[in-house]
Amino acid sequence: MTTANKIAAHPTIPGDRDILVCIFQRGAADGLNAVVPYFDGDYYTQRGSIAVVAPTGSGDPRYLTPEYALHPALLPLKPIFDGNDLALVHATGMPHQIRSHFSAQNLVERGVVEKTGPITGWLGRHLALSPPASSSAFRAISISGNVPVTLSGAVEPLAIDKLDDFGFEQDILDSGYPQVLANLFHGGVPFAGPANAALAAMGELQAADLASITPDNGAVYPNSPLGTRLLQAAQLIKSVLPVEVVCIDSDGWDHHESLPTYIALSLSDLALSLKAFYDDIGAGLGTGTGMDRVTVLVYTEFGRRIAKNGSDGTDHGTASLAYLMGGGVNGGQVISDWPGLVIDPDIPATEDLQITTDLRTVITELLNKRLGGTDVGMVFPGFAGPHSADAFWP
Amino acid sequence: MEKNEAFDLEAMFDRLHNRREFLQLLGRGLGYGALATLLPACGGGSTNATDDDAPPIAPTIPKPDPEYTVLKRSSFGPHRDELASIRTLGIDAYLEQQLDHLAIDESALEAEIALRFPLTLKTPPELLAGFPDNIFDVATQMIAAAQYRQMFSRRQLFEIMVEFWSDHFNIQLVNGLGPTLKPLDDRAVIRAHALGNFRELLHASAKSTAMLFYLDNFFNQAIAPNENYARELMELHTLGVDGGYTENDVKEVARCFTGWTLRLPGDPLGDYGDYVFVQAIHDDQPKAVLGNAILGGDQSDGEQVLDILAAHPATANFIATKLCRRFIGDRPPQAAIDAVANAFTTSHGDIKNTLRALFATAAFVDSGDHKFTRPSEYLAALVRALAPDTPRVPYPPAKSQFWFYAQSILGQLPFYWPTPDGYPDLQSYWASTGGLLNRWRLSFLSFAGIIPGVDVIQVDYAAMLNGADTINGIVDAIIDAVLMRPLNGDDRALIVQWLEGELGAGADEELTTAPPELAAALIAAVLVSSAYFHLR
Repeated sequence: MTTANKIAAHPTIPGDRDILVCIFQRGAADGLNAVVPYFDGDYYTQRGSIAVVAPTGSGDPRYLTPEYALHPALLPLKPIFDGNDLALVHATGMPHQIRSHFSAQNLVERGVVEKTGPITGWLGRHLALSPPASSSAFRAISISGNVPVTLSGAVEPLAIDKLDDFGFEQDILDSGYPQVLANLFHGGVPFAGPANAALAAMGELQAADLASITPDNGAVYPNSPLGTRLLQAAQLIKSVLPVEVVCIDSDGWDHHESLPTYIALSLSDLALSLKAFYDDIGAGLGTGTGMDRVTVLVYTEFGRRIAKNGSDGTDHGTASLAYLMGGGVNGGQVISDWPGLVIDPDIPATEDLQITTDLRTVITELLNKRLGGTDVGMVFPGFAGPHSADAFWP
Repeated sequence: MEKNEAFDLEAMFDRLHNRREFLQLLGRGLGYGALATLLPACGGGSTNATDDDAPPIAPTIPKPDPEYTVLKRSSFGPHRDELASIRTLGIDAYLEQQLDHLAIDESALEAEIALRFPLTLKTPPELLAGFPDNIFDVATQMIAAAQYRQMFSRRQLFEIMVEFWSDHFNIQLVNGLGPTLKPLDDRAVIRAHALGNFRELLHASAKSTAMLFYLDNFFNQAIAPNENYARELMELHTLGVDGGYTENDVKEVARCFTGWTLRLPGDPLGDYGDYVFVQAIHDDQPKAVLGNAILGGDQSDGEQVLDILAAHPATANFIATKLCRRFIGDRPPQAAIDAVANAFTTSHGDIKNTLRALFATAAFVDSGDHKFTRPSEYLAALVRALAPDTPRVPYPPAKSQFWFYAQSILGQLPFYWPTPDGYPDLQSYWASTGGLLNRWRLSFLSFAGIIPGVDVIQVDYAAMLNGADTINGIVDAIIDAVLMRPLNGDDRALIVQWLEGELGAGADEELTTAPPELAAALIAAVLVSSAYFHLR
C-alpha cells in the first residue's frame, strides 16, 4: 500500500478519520538496540558486549537501509516494513529533559515539556476538539483497568481490561439492579461519570458480542498482556462499535541490567503482537475495516544512555524510537536525522542519544493527516513545529 | 525500575458476574496448586495520574457524622463495634488509642497468622531453601496475611500505615529473589517502623536486602555505578521529584551507595540475604550531594546521604503531601500540608507526632467523602460491614484464596505493583469503568449469608434485621447495619420502590413473598455498590 488517500468508508466513524491505536512502552524503551545504527562505529564502541551485530549485507533479513538494521527479535515486522506500511522514527522523543519514569510519562502523555501547562492528555484534548460521531460510550477506550493520562480531557474514556467479560449476566440484569444503580448515580455523585459510562458500555458490549469475533487471516497473537490487549483492540475495530481511539500499555521496558536478554523478550512480544494485529485487521482495501483505516503509534517516555552500564544494561537517557504502522503511513523508511553517538565526557548531555525529530512533529502530522485534523496549539501548546516529518500520506 | 514479569490472569473469576455461579465459586474453594499458573499482574505503571487532576467534588449525598469519617479514614472500613467505641471515647481518645498500637493486644491474631501463613515469618536462608518452588506459596501467604490483618486487626491505623509505607517503599514481591527477601523487609522495615521514626525507617529500607535487590543497588560498584536506587531514593522515598536535586546529585548519590549489597546464595562469608558493605567495590573518593561534601570514603557515605535526605525540608513537604493525600483528599489544602510538614520537621520525623498534627487539621474531619476508597479498603470494608463478627470466628484458611482473587481482579494485590512508586492514591486512577464494574460484581458477596455452606464470610441478616419484616423496616435496618450512615430521601425511596416491584409487596406490608433475609441481601448489594460506601 504505497499510494496515498485510499480511505474507504468505515461503517461507523467519519470518513476522514483513521482509528488510532496508541501503544505506550512503559519504562523507557531502548531504541539503539531495537533499530540498530550499524553504520555508526561509535555504537559498537559504546555498547560493547551488549551491541547488536551488523547485518551481513543487503540480503540479510535484518537489513533495512545502509544505515539501520532490525534487532533479530523484530524480524516479524520486516514484511510490513517491506510492504511500506511501517515507518521507524529514530532519535525521537519529547524534549522534556526529565529522567524520572513517572514524571516523564506524565509529561509525554500530557504532550508538554514542562510541568506547567494543561493537566489533560494530548489525545484527550484532540478528542475534545473533534466532535464525536455518535453517542456511544466506545469512542475512546483504554484496554486496561484505568484511564491513562493520555486520554484525560476526553468525555468519559472507558477503561476495560477484559472486554468479553464486561457486564452482568441475565439474572442480575433481570433483577433491576443495574437500573437502580443508574438511578443512584445521579448528577452530583462524585464518580457518576464513570459509573454511568460503565452501565452504558455494558449494554453496547452485550449487543456487539465481541466473543464471536475471532482473529482473521490466520493471525496468532502471543499469549502475553500486550498480545491479549491487541487482540481485543482488533475485536473492537472489527465490531459494530464506533471506536476511534484505543490506548494500550506495553510494560517492562526498563532494562537496567541484562539488557540483551530482556530486550529480546520485549521486542519479540512487541513484534509478534503487532504482526498478528496487522494480519488480523488485514489489508482490507475497500472494505473500510482494514489497515487502510487504522494507524498504530508505538512510543515511550524517553530512551536509554548510549553506553552500557555496569550490569550489561543501560540507564536513563533521552531519545528513543517510535513505530508507525498502517496503510496511511509513509512506510518502508527509517525517519531520522542521525545525531551521532560521540560522548564528550565534559558535556553530560552527550551521554544520551539526542532528539532530532520531535515526537510532537510526528503526532501532529498523524492527527492532521489521519485523524481529520487538529488544533496543534491546543494539543501541543507552545510547540512551534515543524508539523510534518513526511511520515504519513495525506 | 521493574523486572520483566508477565503473568496471565486466567479467567478464574470470569463468571463472577453470574450470581448463582459466583456463589458456587464461593463455596467450592480453589486449589493452591492452580495459583502457580494463575498469578495475576496488578497495575504496571499503566497510568500516571497527575497530582491535581481530580475533579472538584461537591457531594450531593448527606455527609456522614465526623466519627464515621474518622473511622473510614483511619481504618479499612467501619466496624460496628469500633463505631460504638469512637462514639463513646470521642475522636481524639480513639485516635490516641490507635496510635498506641502496641497497647492493643493482638497476640491471638498474630498466632493465627503464624499458624495459617508461616512462610511470612521465615528468614531469607529458610526461604531460599525452598526457592523457587515456594514462590507462589510465599506470594499467596504474604498477600493473605496482609488482607487478614487489614480485615481483622484491631490495630487498624497501624495497618493503614503499613500499607502506606509498603507503597512508599514499594518492592514487587515476585521479582527475581524477591520472594526470599521481601518477607523480612515487611517485618523488619515496614512493620517495625510504620509508626516509628522516618529516619530510622529510611535507614532500615536502605539496608533492606529486598530493596537493594529490587532497585539493582547490589550491582552498584565503583567501576560501574547503577543509578536506579539513587534516583528512586530521592524521587520516591525522600525529596520528591521536585525536591531540588539534579542529575549530578543522582550520580553522586549512586557513588555513595556503591558497595551496599547483600550476601548472595553460596557466599561462604555470611548468611544469604544479610546486608553487607563491601569496601573493595565502594567508590572512596570525595563526593558532593545537594551541596554537602561527602568525605568518609566508606559506608558512612551512604548513611550521611540518608541523614541529609531525612532532614531535608523537601522530604518533610513530600511526606506531608502524601500523608494528606492519604487521609484528607486528592488535593489537600496547603495549610494542612504545611502543618504536617512542620510537625514532621520539629519532631525529627516522628511518625506518630506527624499523624497527630494531621488529625488536628480542620480538613481531616471536615472533608468527609472527598476520597475514593482503594480496592483494599473496599474489600476489607465489605467484610467489616457485612460480617462484623467474622474476626471472632475461625477464618477458613482455604478461603483466603477467594480474597486473593477478589483483590487481584480489583487490581490492588498487596506487594504486586511492579514499579517503585507504589499503588496510586487518586480517584482518577481507581474510579474507572472497569474498576467500578468489578466492585459491583463483588457486591453480590452480600448474598453469602443466605446460601447454606457458603462461608467465605458469614452474614447474619437475622441479627441485623432484629425482627423487621416490612420493606421499609428492612431497608432502614440494613442501612443502619451495613452502611452506618444516612441515605438521602430520594435514594432511599428509589430502593424501596425497586423492592416493591421486585418482591411484589407494599412497603409497609408484612413481607410474605420472600424471606426478609433475601430482601436484606438485595438491599445490601445495592448499598455497597453505591457512592455512599465507596467514598471516605
